[in-house]
Amino acid sequence: MAWNLKSDRPIYSQLVEQIELLIVSGIYPAGSKLPSVRDMAGEASVNPNTMQRALAQLENDGLLYSQRTSGRFVTEDVESIMKTKNSLAQGLIKEFIENMSNLGYDRQQTISLLERTAEEEK
Amino acid sequence: MLRKLLKYEIQATARIFLPMYALLIVFALINKFFMAVNADYLRIPQIISASVFVIIIVGICVMTLVVTIQRYNKNLLSDEGYLSFTLPVKIHSHIDCKMLVTLMWAVLSVIVSAISIFVMAVNEKTIVQIQRFFSEVIPALNKLGSAGYVIVLEVLLLAVVAVLSETLAIYAAITIGNMSSKHKILLGIGAYLCFGIIEQIIASILITSFSGTINQYFNWLSKFPAPAQANAMQLILLGLLIYSLVFGAAYYFLTNWMLRKKLNLE
Amino acid sequence: MENILECQNLVKFFPGCLALNSVNLAVPKGRIVGLLGPNGSGKSTMIKLANGLITPTSGKILINGMEPGIETKKIVSYLPERTYLNDWMNVNNIIDFFGDFYQDFNKQKAYDMLRRLGVDPALRLKTMSKGTKEKVQLILVMSREAELYLLDEPIGGVDPAARDYILDTIISNYSENATILISTHLIADVEKVLDEVIFINQGNIVLVSTVDDIREKENKSVDALFREVFKC
Repeated sequence: MAWNLKSDRPIYSQLVEQIELLIVSGIYPAGSKLPSVRDMAGEASVNPNTMQRALAQLENDGLLYSQRTSGRFVTEDVESIMKTKNSLAQGLIKEFIENMSNLGYDRQQTISLLERTAEEEK
Repeated sequence: MLRKLLKYEIQATARIFLPMYALLIVFALINKFFMAVNADYLRIPQIISASVFVIIIVGICVMTLVVTIQRYNKNLLSDEGYLSFTLPVKIHSHIDCKMLVTLMWAVLSVIVSAISIFVMAVNEKTIVQIQRFFSEVIPALNKLGSAGYVIVLEVLLLAVVAVLSETLAIYAAITIGNMSSKHKILLGIGAYLCFGIIEQIIASILITSFSGTINQYFNWLSKFPAPAQANAMQLILLGLLIYSLVFGAAYYFLTNWMLRKKLNLE
Repeated sequence: MENILECQNLVKFFPGCLALNSVNLAVPKGRIVGLLGPNGSGKSTMIKLANGLITPTSGKILINGMEPGIETKKIVSYLPERTYLNDWMNVNNIIDFFGDFYQDFNKQKAYDMLRRLGVDPALRLKTMSKGTKEKVQLILVMSREAELYLLDEPIGGVDPAARDYILDTIISNYSENATILISTHLIADVEKVLDEVIFINQGNIVLVSTVDDIREKENKSVDALFREVFKC
């Protein structure tokens, strides 16, 4: 689990994104218990306060919830996770379309190139 | 806390002194063997071993001084000072610790040297001489009454205070020397010499201003028998004791103040 | 007492050099703070003042509300830039030494860290390489459960693998009751671990900010900003 943190963007927002990824991809499954703030901070080699801030943000967004004595958990609301997954996916797709358009491909060309490449990958 | 400092200070210095003491005793025994055998063909080794014995005793004296200076300088005023001065102890504890350990080694050095000489020199003849010495000295002391023993006590106290006072003068001088960035040793030696000069000056002033009273006292005293003269001796020793004590205290407070307020580790 | 370290109009003047020019600063508990500045900016002076190694010319420096003295030395763990260990001891001895003088020293932790960094406790300090001595010093400092850690260039002389281990140790040593103040040039390595940074130059505080605020406002890393601010 490599944490890829860029140096010119706030750390906490990058942590939010990366943890979201871990949740939607199932590495932190729905309802599972997260490691402690300190452990997660250690893995990511970041300041525990920053990690705490990221986790608090995700709690606010509804992807995590905390129980005073037992710790932090991923939400059991699978729909909510799906929604996040979809919106992340849409973001990637929009970026992809924009990049292809910058290369000069129109909508039709992009889709056929996409299908062809996917076939080859099989 | 002082006890802990003492523990480590003694450990640090014992590594130097104990081997030297052991060596001294060994050579005392070697010399004793040579003297007992007293053979002509062993003359050269005997001379060598006797010389080595003397060298070791001189070495021990020199080492006591060297270690005094070096421990203070290294442990407090060089890189190690960063550790020493961040320990949660009062600054004066460091001074107390070092001067007490110096005193301890000074006393031990004297005792071990005396024992080694005794071991070397003791035989039937010398034992008789020693017995005779004591059989003369002790009655003489008794004649002086309690004053005699007080004098012995004062002499011992004076020796202790003098050692401590000199040690503190050395510490004060080293600390002063450390304040300069380029000429630490020169300044330190200069400070020490200044202390000596100041002590002399004050002593001379005291003696000349009281010379009248002193003369009167001795004139008055000479009319009395011996025990009264012992009283004089007591007073003189007391005077020297106080003198040493005052200067010792001055060096102590000076050193403490400098370490607390003027410390600047490089 | 909210602030573990406070400077109030702190001035330190050396013959020929004004090291700290009326500095005002408050560092709260539970933070990891970077004290960043070029050589001669006053970083080491401030740290020495906090340790009571030198005294202020005027103004105050307070550790947990107290002026530097025995009580503050009990709660401050200091890693100087130089090696300050004596020659004649071995590692076991120096661990006993620290255990003797500091109530908050955790021997077990020290031995664990020595093992992880591959240092033999029976080794004499005199025979160690500089890098190993620095590791030992760092281990001694981080094995204390202090309230304020003052680390002067903790990762300077150490290889990259040990550097990572040291940063991880700093993270795991974090507690809401303790603050770690790191003075360093190697900003890029340390940036992610810091809550806040303090830029200091020629005895003056130039900037106090959280790392993320800088990245958000300037769109660059603290390291990049530092290079800009302190361009030669």
